[in-house]
Amino acid sequence: METYKLTVNGQPKEVTVDPGTPLLWVLREDLKMTGTKYGCGIAACGACTVHLGGVATRSCVVPVSLIGDRPIVTIEAMAEDPVGRVVQDAWVSHDVVQCGYCQSGQIMSAVALLKSTPKPTDTHIEASMGGNLCRCGTYVRIREAIKTASQQLP
Amino acid sequence: MRAYKAMLQATSVILVACAAWSASNTNGSARERVAQKSSARASTRAEGLAAWQQVYAVLTHPRCINCHTATNYPQQGDDRHRHFANVVRGADGKGVPALQCATCHQGSNADSTGVPGGHNWHLAPLSMQWQDLNDKILSSAEVCRAVIDRSKNSHLDGQGLLRHHEEEPLVLWAFQPGRRIDGTPRTLPPLTHEQFVTATRTWVESGTPCPQNR
Repeated sequence: METYKLTVNGQPKEVTVDPGTPLLWVLREDLKMTGTKYGCGIAACGACTVHLGGVATRSCVVPVSLIGDRPIVTIEAMAEDPVGRVVQDAWVSHDVVQCGYCQSGQIMSAVALLKSTPKPTDTHIEASMGGNLCRCGTYVRIREAIKTASQQLP
Repeated sequence: MRAYKAMLQATSVILVACAAWSASNTNGSARERVAQKSSARASTRAEGLAAWQQVYAVLTHPRCINCHTATNYPQQGDDRHRHFANVVRGADGKGVPALQCATCHQGSNADSTGVPGGHNWHLAPLSMQWQDLNDKILSSAEVCRAVIDRSKNSHLDGQGLLRHHEEEPLVLWAFQPGRRIDGTPRTLPPLTHEQFVTATRTWVESGTPCPQNR
């Protein structure tokens, strides 16, 4: 066990865990931040996506020992994030969510896309969101919500 | 006077004979030297080509060639299958905004989760593709010609190629590729990194020869 100092949503946190523990479990089990979901555990579905140093990251495969001083941002901070707020509003207006399990990961990926590419084409959206799976098949609404959010952003 | 002329003639004959002997002797030495030189060159080229074959065996090992694709996606595994999760190349070989290489691959191997990692994880540029669009590995001659083509290889000369093989973090990663998700070690290229660098040095010092065939 080792102790790690992390910055999560701007707040300093300290955890004592095995170095190989994935960030996902540090968030969910140690910090009790359960907005980030466990889907597959092998980075294949995107449900666990957070932002690590500004990069959309699959938290289920990143051991806490490799995080270093990079800030962690999770779905819990999106309501306060200028792009995150717009994306969440678009999600609501398009009624994107069905079961909802994958949606925190979908939103984290969408926000990363829009921060990098504020006016994405369909091709950009498909490529960037292609690693986020939705068993309910909400892909069409996700795409429309991203386009709506894009129109709201400068 | 007649005796003097005779002596002059005799001297001339001797001088011509000496010159001829000397010339013939000189020509012989030069021939030998040329023969020795050309033999040394041939030997060096042969050694270089043999060394290149060793280098080629490493470059086309899955740990290397999986990121030297001709397509818009990387490969993974010893069977070189398409990378899962719809990962795509992106404009700079590092993926696309919400699905970058760094979305999973960190600065070093994550053995607890089975994800390989190294500094600046990315695909090689399309100009350094060592397989065709059907994922068939290119021939030794084709890869060799691409590797030494400075318009394709980021303008690296022989010494630059050697340095790349010695120091580039992702080249080094191939020799320490970490563990798979089931905990078993990933397979290694057929040479150690030291042997790979030695083979590259021999190839570079012999003038980076390439096989003549296709």
